[in-house]
Amino acid sequence: MTDYTQELQSSGVDTLTQSYGDQWGAMENIEEASAFVQLMASNDLIFVVLGVSLIIWFVLLFFLIRVDRKVAKLEKNMDSIDKKEDT
Amino acid sequence: MKTWKYIVAIWMTVVISAGFLIQIPHIPILEETARNLFLHVPMWFTMMIAFAMAFYFSIRYLNSEAIEWDRKAETATLVGLMFGICGLLTGSLWARFTWGTWWTFAEPRMNLSALAMMIFVAYFILRSAFNDTEKRAKISAVYNIFGITTIPFLLYIIPRQLPSLHPGAEGNPAFSDMTAPELRLIFYPAVIGFIGLAVWIMDILNRYKTVQTQLDINRQT
Repeated sequence: MTDYTQELQSSGVDTLTQSYGDQWGAMENIEEASAFVQLMASNDLIFVVLGVSLIIWFVLLFFLIRVDRKVAKLEKNMDSIDKKEDT
Repeated sequence: MKTWKYIVAIWMTVVISAGFLIQIPHIPILEETARNLFLHVPMWFTMMIAFAMAFYFSIRYLNSEAIEWDRKAETATLVGLMFGICGLLTGSLWARFTWGTWWTFAEPRMNLSALAMMIFVAYFILRSAFNDTEKRAKISAVYNIFGITTIPFLLYIIPRQLPSLHPGAEGNPAFSDMTAPELRLIFYPAVIGFIGLAVWIMDILNRYKTVQTQLDINRQT
């Protein structure tokens, strides 16, 4: 069993043990990351929560605008039908 | 799409961002959840405005018996109920991490607001019981006027007469000694933003229902 894992690790293609390790490595070598990532990682990660909230808000907003436009289109169609019936 | 809707969209984006970005003073027990003031409390304010609108529309319906007022009253009640349910759910989550429980029957404001929501769930059950449009409109308008008059008693008057964990048992429901004054800078814009959002949703629903009614009329003729 141990031989098998060692073999895998030495072969250098075992990404699984690395990615699913119990060590979360996001904050390692953070000084080398881009300025944006460093900003997001500051202040106890509150900016990440802001990002998540804004994503939800923008998706909902996009949905709301889309439905609004669809109803506007329906209204326009209804108006033209009514006009046709009048003439 | 009308301009005011874009203003609401940008306004809410700014409010959400500012709500996370401002520095808030350290408040024991509440900690960072003090920011929930910008989200949880506006839910109830928006619900009150929506129900006040529904109250007005219901009276207008009984006055004129024009079906469009019934439509508007139904929409306003629905949006008010949705915001009220959001208020209950967010309040419950907040309570778990400040009071230590998801729900407590010792807290009058919590239970009475749940009761208030039941009154409006019953409104929709009542509506679904009629096939005749006019009868449905008339009876649900009367019910809604009765239902909305109970709201100030359930949410403001009775909770203040009883001992309560909820801030504001002493008088002001949203603010108390533990609330920092800076929070108001975001809180009031958030209330305006959420009311704008509620009016936007009502507008879409009303227009949808208008087209639907027109379609039904066309189909019958």
